Amino acid sequence: MKKLMVLFFAWVTVFSVAATEEQFKFTDMQQQQLFRELTHELRCPKCQNQNIADSNALVAQDLKRKVYQLVSQGKNKTQVVDYMKQRYGEFVYYQPALTPATFILWALPAFIVVLGLIVLFRKRASQDIDPDKLAQAKKLLEDE
Amino acid sequence: MKKIWLFILPLIAFVAMTVFLLSGLFSDPRYQNEVQQDRALPPFKLADVMQPAKQYDESLFHGQVTLLNVWGVWCVTCAVELPFLTQLKEQGIPIVGLYYEQELDPDFGGKSLPQIQSEITQQLSKLGNPYQINLFDQDRSYSMDLGVTGAPETFIIDKQGIIRLHHIGDVNQRVWQNKIAPVYQQWVNQ
Repeated sequence: MKKLMVLFFAWVTVFSVAATEEQFKFTDMQQQQLFRELTHELRCPKCQNQNIADSNALVAQDLKRKVYQLVSQGKNKTQVVDYMKQRYGEFVYYQPALTPATFILWALPAFIVVLGLIVLFRKRASQDIDPDKLAQAKKLLEDE
Repeated sequence: MKKIWLFILPLIAFVAMTVFLLSGLFSDPRYQNEVQQDRALPPFKLADVMQPAKQYDESLFHGQVTLLNVWGVWCVTCAVELPFLTQLKEQGIPIVGLYYEQELDPDFGGKSLPQIQSEITQQLSKLGNPYQINLFDQDRSYSMDLGVTGAPETFIIDKQGIIRLHHIGDVNQRVWQNKIAPVYQQWVNQ
């Protein structure tokens, strides 16, 4: 049963991917690849957290068609992303640009890693045992 | 001393995290498009949906502060706001419609123009007609230039043809009073 389910969902996924690509056909494989990349990285402004490849909202379809047109005209990735940002703002692209407002998004993970390393290092250091005290303890044991 | 810090630091981190997450609970996750604000209307040449022979461009908006309302007869929320917009029109506020047709797929076609016209006439005679004219955005490409995500959306265009507000969602008494009217008044008085 489980296997059947997996098979079913795999089939559905493959089918839906094929359906989108059937609507927007390229002769150039590189453009096809760029189109796939862009529709997965551009965000549907009408939906809550969905890219335009996955969404069937009217505006997502319009954006997909626009991406198709622009890519067919030979526009590169930055040009298409800029075209969309100009109309829908930073929201439309899943990779936030590095600005003072988004700085924390980029810096926080690095900061936490550094903080973790510091804590780890200091803990190690404090665990080292004072050799004098060790000698004293050994002596005590031997005396018994 | 060290022990106090071991207590205080995690406490500060916890409080900060709580405040951050709590504010997230009450924030509006919907998209607000602010990039269009304070930008000149993108140039256009659009026909009146009722009289396709008549073409308009940006000069339509010059000389008075105008509301540009994106709508369609298929859109339920637009039908809800039509009576309120009609009230605004009766108060003397100029409103131009941008007709956003859902079923016209640029690749496949769809409804015919006479069909759309009769739907519009029917809807407006039933719920009120706030529009001076309705520009026909046939393939929704002008809407894309305006950053429209769907219908209804409303823009305030000032006397120089510059976008001063982009409101996503319906216009009702509350939204009008709190958000749109102050901006409208500000640019009328300018």
